[in-house]
Amino acid sequence: MNFSTLVDNLISDTVEVSLPLFVPELIVCATIVVLLTVRVFRLAEGLLLALALAALLIASGNDWLATPDQIALWIALAVLVVNRLVNTGRYSDPFVLALVGSLLAWWFAVPDGLLGNWTGVERQEIFTGMLVYDSFTVFFRMFLLAFAAWFVVLVRMTGLADREDGQDFYTLLLGATLGMCLMASANHLMTIFLAVEMASVPSYVMSGILKGRRRASEAALKYAVYGAGAAGVMLYGISLLAGLLGTAHLPTIAARLAEMDIPSLIASGESGGTLMVLALSALMIMVGLAFKLSAVPFHFWCPDVFEGASAEVDAFLSVASKAAAMALLVRVALGVSTAGEVNPEPPVAHRAVPAQAVSLLLSPDGEAASDFGELSRVAAAAPTLPTNAKSTPLSPVRSFIVQLLAVVAAVTCTFGNLTAYGQTNIKRLLAYSTIAHAGYMMMAVAAAVQLAGDNPDGARTAVAALVFYLGVYVFMNLGAFAIVAFLRNAIGSEEIADYSGLIRSAPVTSVMLTIIMISLLGLPPLAGFFGKLLVFYALVAASGPWMIALLVIAGINTVISLIYYLRVAKTVCIDPEPAARGPLSIGGLPAAYVFIVALPVVIYGIYPVPVQHIAEQASKYLLM
Amino acid sequence: MMPLFANILTEPVGVAHYLVVGAVLFVCGALCMATKRNAIGVLLGIELVLNGANLNFIAFGSRYLRDSQGTIGLDGQLMSLFVIVLAAAEAAVALAIALNFYNSFSSIDVDQADQLQG
Repeated sequence: MNFSTLVDNLISDTVEVSLPLFVPELIVCATIVVLLTVRVFRLAEGLLLALALAALLIASGNDWLATPDQIALWIALAVLVVNRLVNTGRYSDPFVLALVGSLLAWWFAVPDGLLGNWTGVERQEIFTGMLVYDSFTVFFRMFLLAFAAWFVVLVRMTGLADREDGQDFYTLLLGATLGMCLMASANHLMTIFLAVEMASVPSYVMSGILKGRRRASEAALKYAVYGAGAAGVMLYGISLLAGLLGTAHLPTIAARLAEMDIPSLIASGESGGTLMVLALSALMIMVGLAFKLSAVPFHFWCPDVFEGASAEVDAFLSVASKAAAMALLVRVALGVSTAGEVNPEPPVAHRAVPAQAVSLLLSPDGEAASDFGELSRVAAAAPTLPTNAKSTPLSPVRSFIVQLLAVVAAVTCTFGNLTAYGQTNIKRLLAYSTIAHAGYMMMAVAAAVQLAGDNPDGARTAVAALVFYLGVYVFMNLGAFAIVAFLRNAIGSEEIADYSGLIRSAPVTSVMLTIIMISLLGLPPLAGFFGKLLVFYALVAASGPWMIALLVIAGINTVISLIYYLRVAKTVCIDPEPAARGPLSIGGLPAAYVFIVALPVVIYGIYPVPVQHIAEQASKYLLM
Repeated sequence: MMPLFANILTEPVGVAHYLVVGAVLFVCGALCMATKRNAIGVLLGIELVLNGANLNFIAFGSRYLRDSQGTIGLDGQLMSLFVIVLAAAEAAVALAIALNFYNSFSSIDVDQADQLQG
């Protein structure tokens, strides 16, 4: 194979296979470019719209409204043109741009047959193995983009992003969302690092977006310094792992680990150094992930940043950032610990241009360039591995990951719940609640890894439990932080004590806050209950001493969390109203927003089947 | 300890030598992050850590230091290029945040950042 064939393959692979599966991310990119261009050249928007109109006309030919996708594009373009025309002579509303961009991206991210059987979501590697596209990617992309659209509406309603500086905020928001979408589909150590940074760097700025506030600037500094430090440590771990195994492609890493045959290495007692470096690199990568997950002992930024940043940004960090970090954790933990055993296909990129083709082409001996001998050797090693349950080459990797995750999850959960007790600031309390929930979710990942070896269906159920948990967690936390933001605008305080007796002046908001608190606690019949139930069920299904210990700890934690969640509910509903507080108005629109966001907590508590179905579909092609 | 250093000093230059330099950079950076009280100093420490990792990538990717079986090839060099670009972006953002912090606190001492705790 000569160089031009390689380039031809690369181009055809990228244009014909990868890019069509990458459309939602491309739309987000285009929205960011438009937002920035409009910020710099006010006149550019009209030009860009004319270009888009021309492109759409040429692309559709004679069939204007042939497919739903085309109709969506036309509607989006019409909204943007109207937005441009009603704002002649000044900046057009960036809110409309951001909302149309994220909704359009969401539209293209929704799989065919959303509530039925998802089609076209089989696992395939795109961009020469850098990213992976499967039902899990599809779900998280849809989840994150839908959240971005809701969030754009929220920041507009609370006034955090106004007409003048809104472009900056929406650009950062969409940039972070893009990074999070990549986190959910990362399949290569480099994409993992790039995606984590793409998600983090805009978040640092967002947490300090309020100018002239001491607390916001302090929060941003702490977040940036800790975040960059954790990312640096993770990168060093990545360099060690990639160097040791000679690859950075996750399925190939799993194949190499299987080839190394760690059980016999341990038995022989030789190359203890290799194992030590492996464990060290795994721990270092875990530092970066734990920071994103706000898992103990890398949680300390979380309460400070949540208190200093505005409540809207907290909602973004506690939902989108956490969901993406969970998805990345699942990708890494299952990716490196399962190839070759449950996977009958060769784990290496099997398409026209495999992952390492470029490096092989330029390898010094020159003969590797002519064929894929090296690749097929690696690929062939995997399916011939012994498949009996206990002595598989990857079972030490799995048990290492399970124990690491189990310990971190148990400590995170307990720490979060115990520290939430003494909090008087609602944002700090919710920050510790976020930490505790990260612990519960990591338990599901630990169960999935434990089950991955000999029971892939069980592992998929455990991941489905995690996805369900996230699917209801988004409504609880977005609702809670939206309420905090609206109440801040109304009463100018974020102390729990100042919420006393709110039910008399703001009944809808208070009832919704109470419902959310009870759901976060996990009492039936609210949606949070089913989330916890499914996670606990996954732990039982995984069995083994570690999982039973986790189950007991999670149970005790739920009881501990009873007190502080109910204390908020009691303050809001039962305590007398302070005399000092004047008349209070939340406004009809904010109350409606809160109502709509929090309503699914009740609906999915009574009828959880749709979310459960989506969660099953989302994990359908994992481990394939 | 002694045999390790003796080996490194007597053997021809290989991956191990680069890894030692990378590890020294990493440790210096980590120490710098942990001990410096000046926000810019902490950012310098982060740069050292990133460059320690970069050196590892380059060494692991080099075909002169390892045979073609063990090397990560061009992946290593590409990764370090991406990291260099990313480090620049991150430094820009972190410096802007440090400036914003200075505007509020008239200092970039990270110990001053103690308004938020509990």
